[in-house]
Amino acid sequence: MPTALPLPVQLAWLIPIYGFLGVGLSLPWACGWFRLTGPRPAAYLNILVTMLAFLHGSLLMVIVLRDGSYSLSHDWFQTADLQLRLSFELSPTSLASLELVTGLSLLAQVFALGYLDKEWSLARFYALVGFFEGAMAGVVLSSSLFLTYFLLEMLTLSTYLLVGFWYAQPLVVTAARDAFLTKRVGDVLLLMGVVALSAWAGVMTFEDLYSWVPQAGLSPLAGNLLGLGLIAGPLGKCAQFPMHLWLDEAMEGPNPASILRNSVVVTCGALVLLRLMPILQLSPLSLAVLVALGSITAVGGSLVAIAQADIKRTLSYTTSAYMGLVFVAIALQLPAIALLLLFAHAVAKALLFMSVGSVIATTNCQDLSELGGMGSRMPATTLAFLVGGAGCTALVPLGCFWAFALTVEALGRTAPALAAIVLITNSLTLVNLTRVFRLVFLGPSQPKTRRAPEANWSMAVPMVALTVLVLVTPWIMARIDPVPGLASFSPQVLGWLILSSVLGLVIGSRIPLHKAWSRPIQSYWRVVQDLLAFDFYTDRIYRVTIVALVANLAMAIDWFDRRVVDGLVNRLGRLSLASAEGLRLGVSGQMQTYVLTGVVAIVLLLTSMSWLVR
Amino acid sequence: MGSATVFPWLSVSILLPIAAALLIPFIPDQGDGKTIRWYALGVALITFLVTAGAYLNGYDPSVAGLQLIERVEWVPDLGLAWSVGADGLSMPLILLTSFITALAVLAAWPVTFKPRLFYFLILAMDGGQIAVFAVQDMLLFFLSWELELLPVYLLLAIWGAKKRQYAATKFILYTAGGSVFILLAALAMGFQGGGTPSFEYTTLAAKEFGTRFQLLAYAGLLIAFGVKLPIVPLHTWLPDAHGEATAPVHMLLAGILLKMGGYALLRFNVQLLPDAHAQFAPLLVVLGVVNIIYAALTSFAQRNLKRKIAYSSISHMGFVLIGIGSFSALGTSGAMLQMVSHGLIGASLFFLVGATYDRTHTLQLDEMGGVGQKMRKMFALWTVCSLASLALPGMSGFVSELMVFVGFVTSEAYSLSFRIVMAALAAVGVILTPIYLLSMLREIFFGKENTELVSHTKLVDAEPREIYVISCLLVPIIGIGLYPRLMTDSYRASIEALVQREEASMARMIPAGRQGLIRQNPPLAWISPGLEAQRPLLVAPLLP
Repeated sequence: MPTALPLPVQLAWLIPIYGFLGVGLSLPWACGWFRLTGPRPAAYLNILVTMLAFLHGSLLMVIVLRDGSYSLSHDWFQTADLQLRLSFELSPTSLASLELVTGLSLLAQVFALGYLDKEWSLARFYALVGFFEGAMAGVVLSSSLFLTYFLLEMLTLSTYLLVGFWYAQPLVVTAARDAFLTKRVGDVLLLMGVVALSAWAGVMTFEDLYSWVPQAGLSPLAGNLLGLGLIAGPLGKCAQFPMHLWLDEAMEGPNPASILRNSVVVTCGALVLLRLMPILQLSPLSLAVLVALGSITAVGGSLVAIAQADIKRTLSYTTSAYMGLVFVAIALQLPAIALLLLFAHAVAKALLFMSVGSVIATTNCQDLSELGGMGSRMPATTLAFLVGGAGCTALVPLGCFWAFALTVEALGRTAPALAAIVLITNSLTLVNLTRVFRLVFLGPSQPKTRRAPEANWSMAVPMVALTVLVLVTPWIMARIDPVPGLASFSPQVLGWLILSSVLGLVIGSRIPLHKAWSRPIQSYWRVVQDLLAFDFYTDRIYRVTIVALVANLAMAIDWFDRRVVDGLVNRLGRLSLASAEGLRLGVSGQMQTYVLTGVVAIVLLLTSMSWLVR
Repeated sequence: MGSATVFPWLSVSILLPIAAALLIPFIPDQGDGKTIRWYALGVALITFLVTAGAYLNGYDPSVAGLQLIERVEWVPDLGLAWSVGADGLSMPLILLTSFITALAVLAAWPVTFKPRLFYFLILAMDGGQIAVFAVQDMLLFFLSWELELLPVYLLLAIWGAKKRQYAATKFILYTAGGSVFILLAALAMGFQGGGTPSFEYTTLAAKEFGTRFQLLAYAGLLIAFGVKLPIVPLHTWLPDAHGEATAPVHMLLAGILLKMGGYALLRFNVQLLPDAHAQFAPLLVVLGVVNIIYAALTSFAQRNLKRKIAYSSISHMGFVLIGIGSFSALGTSGAMLQMVSHGLIGASLFFLVGATYDRTHTLQLDEMGGVGQKMRKMFALWTVCSLASLALPGMSGFVSELMVFVGFVTSEAYSLSFRIVMAALAAVGVILTPIYLLSMLREIFFGKENTELVSHTKLVDAEPREIYVISCLLVPIIGIGLYPRLMTDSYRASIEALVQREEASMARMIPAGRQGLIRQNPPLAWISPGLEAQRPLLVAPLLP
């Protein structure tokens, strides 16, 4: 049978391997074995393998569009009743996601050549990105829940390593650990879901699981536990409330990694959720939780973003907010809309992060209050920010406009409240992006921006390429899933959408940004500002609840261990030593006493033995 | 099987290191140990090759029963015979022993204090430990169990850190106290039923012990092996022993000694006393969960690096207990894999602790910090080994813990609620592991350099020997993680036979009709409505 498959399909398992191959190829430079050449060859090799992955994906896309989907499966591990197979699915959707992943990864890697120009551990960075990309490519192609889980953990690992890339920086110290822990909690809960499914369903591929669902016959409790476990993984991966703790600190990693993280990594998380959607039908509770958390994150994240002073953090909170919308769409069974929103968001957000990255690379500054007046100095970067921002919101008919319009159209009747959340998120994001744009690109120059030149070639080329890509997003979206023309939307939907955008734009361009006014005088505004700026004090809440609980419990058990368990042992030991000392003094020299003691002891021992061995 | 013409692989692998150790006093050496260490390394490597040869040439993984049998009458009057052999339970651990010992010799390279005695003890231990796994006679087992005690005591008491006397005494008291029960149980089992006493496993397995006898023997052995594994209230010798030992001794303690407890539980408690096991199994699961959580929390509170890793070992051994108590081939097989996997991972972590101590001269986490800037390779090695320890997919620890989880959850022996609660609690432990390991990495390596530390020590990066030792351990760790059948195939047949025996006795002990804690119904029935009334039995009733 396999011989009948076209060669690129037979070799499809290579696609995730390409990324991991990049890791291997970078090792000689990352370990310092080849010093003469500098670390650059590792970067070139990685870019080369990513290109290979992209081309292989394109080839597969052509074949799949011609012949229809394929699914591949390889045995991995069988023992007793545990059978794990590595299954891949080559469908237009998964291949489109693959192209998105490898394409954006390629652009981000070229961008990193410029951004990390003078970084001495460039090779290590590329090795990590290769790992990242391999894991993502695997996640989007995987059609087995187990493999998906496996690769999500690989993503968690690479996030940890990438966030901890500059490990000597003070903020990174806790950032990497928090990123890993928060995601790991989600992953372990997902693993529990996987374990439960392997017990109840006994199968691991999504197709088999889907056919198992109708006949599952789980009790509501079991179903809900299963559902909650399964959604925890994507929730952590996409930094949804309350698992978004790691998000702001994670922005301490290098910017090219942030580009990937904010565009394709979250997309992978959402795609996993999309795959899980039919299984979640077993658990109405988990769907309700998804809608609730998604809405909270969408509105809360957008609000928090407005109060951030760090240029990367403000954008990353927007990412969470958008993923919240995607989660709502998935929970409401709107997979096509979720996919469109994911795609539109991924390319636009990647562009925004590239633009921001080129600002940071030129000025060495991520603090919004120290930037300004860069619009005239960095035309390509400015244009990229404008286009990216437009692509992210419903101001002009670029990607997100269509996605939002479709969502509002679909939800307007059935769930007006959720439609309102989409509109509010849109408004708030526009307020924020306008604010950031004014702070960074307009206004007077500041010391750090006065002599800023345009970004260098290797940053500018991918940025411009992506700008063009964002501009043609609607066309690509029309290819993926026919987007109806403007006329097909009801006038109310378009009216509300445009109203929300204009409102956001107007508020964003009117809010006072002068430094003297950045701290309100009225105390209630200050409370609100602090609340948002510190992310609703989430980290402090965590610190006084869970962290304190674990730490205190650990101290208590340690005390118990030392004082009670070990104390008892020590006391027994001392007692036996003391009794030995005492016995030594009782030596009388009388033979009879010794014999008597011995005989009594033997009799006692034998009696107890005979009782044992009856 | 076992014809006389076949090369006596197992006997050679036991006796070679011991004989070679006896030759050490006659090795010409300048007194700095440079010749001796090459000699010891050579002997350890040859031993490893012999065990590998045994595996490749004389061992057929698809056979469930005993292989590589060698039997010589020793003291016929006592029924004592030199009887060695290997099946799936012991073969992987024999390989692990000779492998870890060879690496430990390499790890001991810098030891210059009394090198003759040191290597003598290490080699004697090598033979003793292989004997523990290979012998097929309970009295011999007891002897080799004790034989291995003495070298550890001396290695602790002579080469240990400040509190070495205390730690060594504690170790010997605990273990010797525990082994009294082995001797008692061995004698009781051997003499039971009258006739010529015999202590061979095959004879013992054929005997029909009464239920009450089995329960008593089981309880005694559980204490003895619980000290070694260790099971939580009996564990306090371990942090002290680990906290005071030097790196190579550490590797042996964590890599092999703890596994003796798990092996013995499988060999005696499960294989020879299956009826009692059917009663005790829920207790093992509960103890396993307690081990995981209790030790993980205690580890989090430790400020001393060695003690932290020591507690993490205890935590990981909890999975072995759950697996043994799971009543499923998958779970038991996971327990076995967890032993091998922890042997490798634990050895690598303890080796790194030693290597770090050589540079920082402190084990207090508060006195470290920012070390990663000077020791980048060390940082990388630490990161990889910590990730392996926290069961990252792709490494052996993940596969074994997954197998234990799935095996336990699919086990038909327990009620659904018991399984859910225990699995959830064990999962809490899995979340706690990265908390303490990553916090540890953060405190050692991340952040600003600790000026106090840098001012009085020279932080040299990892040397090739150290990288080599860790790489040797990582190859099987990652190899098993990516392709677990490498290891599981070597013992699958034996574990399946063992579990069949378990299940037969479960069926005998706990009739299907009884609505108790341990149940026979298929798992799906548990979630059908109407069965909520059945609660899991936490502690099986001792007398029916």
